[in-house]
Amino acid sequence: MRKMLFYPRIAAQNIKTNRKLYIPFLITSTLSAAMFFIIYSLSVSKSLASTYGGSDITMIMSTAMVVAVIFFAIFLFYTQSFLIKRRKKEFGLYSVLGMEKKHICITCFFETLYIALISIIGGSALGALMSKLVYMALMKLLKFNTGVEFEFHFSSVTYTALVFGAIFVLLFANTVRSIAGKNVVELLSGGSVGEKEPKTKWITTIIGIIAIAAGYYIAITTEKPIEAVLLFVVAVILVMIGTYCLFSSGSIALLKLLRKNKNYYYKTKHFVPVSGMMYRMKQNAVGLGNICILCTAVLIMVSTTVSLYGGMEDALRTRYPRNISIMALADGDEVRGYVDETVDKVVAGSGIATKNVIKTAERSMVAVKEGDTFSGRPEGQDDDLVVSNSITNLVCVTLEDYNRITGGNATLSENEVLLHIVRGGFSGDTMRFSGFELKVKAKYDGFEFAGRNLAYIVDSLYVIVPDEATVTRIYKALGGEEDACRLTYEYSFDTDATSEEQIALSKAINKAFSGEDFKGQQYTQEIMVEGAEQSRGRFYSLYGGLLFIGIFLGFVFMTATVLIIYYKQISEGYDDKERYEIMQKVGMDAREIKKSIRSQVLTVFFLPLITAFIHLAFSFPIITKLLALLNLTNISIFVTCLIITAAIFSVLYALVYAVTAKAYYKIVSD
Amino acid sequence: MAMLEVSNVKKIYTTRFGGTQVQALSDVSFTVEKGEYIAIMGESGSGKTTLLNILASLDRPTSGSVVLDGKDTASIPDGKLAAFRRDNLGFVFQDFNLLDTFSVRDNILLPLVLSGTGVKEMEQRLAPIADKLGISDLLAKFPYEISGGQKQRTAVARAVITNPQLILADEPTGALDSHAADGLLRLFSDLNSEGQTILVVTHSVKAASSAKRVLFIKDGVVFHQIYRANMNNDEMFQKISDTLTALATGGEGNA
Repeated sequence: MRKMLFYPRIAAQNIKTNRKLYIPFLITSTLSAAMFFIIYSLSVSKSLASTYGGSDITMIMSTAMVVAVIFFAIFLFYTQSFLIKRRKKEFGLYSVLGMEKKHICITCFFETLYIALISIIGGSALGALMSKLVYMALMKLLKFNTGVEFEFHFSSVTYTALVFGAIFVLLFANTVRSIAGKNVVELLSGGSVGEKEPKTKWITTIIGIIAIAAGYYIAITTEKPIEAVLLFVVAVILVMIGTYCLFSSGSIALLKLLRKNKNYYYKTKHFVPVSGMMYRMKQNAVGLGNICILCTAVLIMVSTTVSLYGGMEDALRTRYPRNISIMALADGDEVRGYVDETVDKVVAGSGIATKNVIKTAERSMVAVKEGDTFSGRPEGQDDDLVVSNSITNLVCVTLEDYNRITGGNATLSENEVLLHIVRGGFSGDTMRFSGFELKVKAKYDGFEFAGRNLAYIVDSLYVIVPDEATVTRIYKALGGEEDACRLTYEYSFDTDATSEEQIALSKAINKAFSGEDFKGQQYTQEIMVEGAEQSRGRFYSLYGGLLFIGIFLGFVFMTATVLIIYYKQISEGYDDKERYEIMQKVGMDAREIKKSIRSQVLTVFFLPLITAFIHLAFSFPIITKLLALLNLTNISIFVTCLIITAAIFSVLYALVYAVTAKAYYKIVSD
Repeated sequence: MAMLEVSNVKKIYTTRFGGTQVQALSDVSFTVEKGEYIAIMGESGSGKTTLLNILASLDRPTSGSVVLDGKDTASIPDGKLAAFRRDNLGFVFQDFNLLDTFSVRDNILLPLVLSGTGVKEMEQRLAPIADKLGISDLLAKFPYEISGGQKQRTAVARAVITNPQLILADEPTGALDSHAADGLLRLFSDLNSEGQTILVVTHSVKAASSAKRVLFIKDGVVFHQIYRANMNNDEMFQKISDTLTALATGGEGNA
């Protein structure tokens, strides 16, 4: 009996004596389990799924859950490798004292078991406590006040136990692997083997520079939102590769160059830091790369989701320039009369006052743009090609309608147009069609009334033409039939009515068009009623869900960053202790040592953050394009969010630095 | 005037808890003249290392004084101690204490860099020393790439590059094989013959036998000393051995 209890007891003792290493690890694993618990509970929550747009949310949650699990696993492995490295000597000592590897593994098994149990039980308990709070916060974000209670699923506990149980089994296997392959001497010498000076790897450096440059180039030059979606992923991967390459070899190349400059290198304030960093870079390049990428991810996720959420009203107004809009996919006096009459009748019946009324007609057509020449779509091409680069949606509005809706009095002579560039670009001052040219009298960015056309992913140009005849000419030049032009007539207005009244009104209008007691049945299939209020819920569930995920993953990544930094500092502290002792003996005083530590730690610490900021600056253009796809065109919101996020993050980062640097200094000067 | 005067040095350690007092040095006095080569011998626990730490101004005596070149080390403020050590003392340690982040060259130059010497002067000083110690070819290498003897010669180069008043060596041959140890001791003798003052703390008879004078400490006091006079190394070795035997048996007799 006593023997049976020996290993469990020694395992408990080990954790206690190594608490400086284990407490942060325990905190991480427990928090990870709690976060998994929360996000799992949300993803299976019936009350959440039953809300409006709730299925979107639960789907977003499930995706985030998968990302989080992968991340937790990688991250726990990473932190555990620090633990094993630090404890190798201890394991070696056990071997010397006569413990077989088998016994060491048994001890490790119990250690892992304790930690797993604490994490899973603690994580589930914390998760159960927090999930209700998180649920309520989420409801607030989504602007739901359903009053639906959050239900507790026991499956959350089961799944947390299963997922984290599996992760811990893998962690244990990794421990066994790292002990089994080593002999006693190797274990005893622990981390201090093969301390070779890093070689300059020029090829890796060059690959890194090229990858970063390519990523940045893509981010800056991508013009079209549709390209941005795909290229953003490419750019992210390139920048990640480049970051790792440059941190691992570029930094060493740079430090070696510094060392070659003798007048720089042989100065007290550079001598120790430069060589120390060179030595450190080899061990920590990947860690620094991780920190840098995590920082960038946190900053981008949080700032974009916050600005999307904050800019939602803006986006809603951009997408729906008026509260309620009725659109007929036809035009002509008869159509206009029918739509106006029907709508006016329903509105009058509801007793709701309307304002900012717009009645406008558009003729939209698809053209292939090459430079400033527009031509029809080649025969036999599939609709998939609509998303290809050169496809542009031309929306023609007659000058008469244009002046009416904008309240202006622009004039155009024949063969002149005004251009509103809604998406994409047009650089020339003449639009060329086969057989004729139109002179661009003026160009503007964006169009207040573009609304629905923003929902399309292709480039859009609003062309203000002098008369209907010009529209026909353009349409024919693009190869279309004269009578088949895609016409839309739109009647839209604002109202001060409450959300419920607006929703009721748009439903009533919709019903009026589909009712049987109206003449002009032929139009009913082609008349659509859109209400901003009806979409609001969907906007909130989408953007609120994204914001939640942004903050959730931001929190996860932030925790990871803090922990990587902590472990780095601690393990470096142990490594550097001896080094600083020697320097003190050779005649460096405590003040000089402190100064040297600070300069070194500061550089190593803030290098990733500064690199993250540089990444962020270069990613700015492509991110604004992506946000435009999500209807956020108000860049100043994004800039504000970005700056605030970056500022808060920097403060947190500096705080973590201060705390860990203190721990580091304490270890070194002990 | 003597270059180093150690008078009535006493060191008492108080344990962290409880306050049990341990007397490491009870009353040590001796002087070192410029150009001397002195070995201090004693068994483990005799207070050798404590004495060396006090001489190196790494530790302060409980009472008594250490005067180096007319300057009482107790009067130097903490902030200036490191600079004082750097300018006046050179250290050679048993385990070399080379920094693995620096090349051999940078390890040697470290004290000069710390005192802000110009690059040109550093190079001028380094070349002859590296030449004399036979490590000119190793300068670009790193500590893990060279042998123990080479490491110790690197450490000696680091100690002498500042032209210190006094070189303090703590068991310098402790981690070396006999061949490398012989080489190092010859090097010390050569340096001494050029006027360098050296103080070695050791319990190796061999290391002590190359010194000109040997002090024996036991139980925290200087117990005995012998002078080389005209003896060669072998005779010196014999004399030291005899003295140690006498001390050991005499010590037992007294107990």
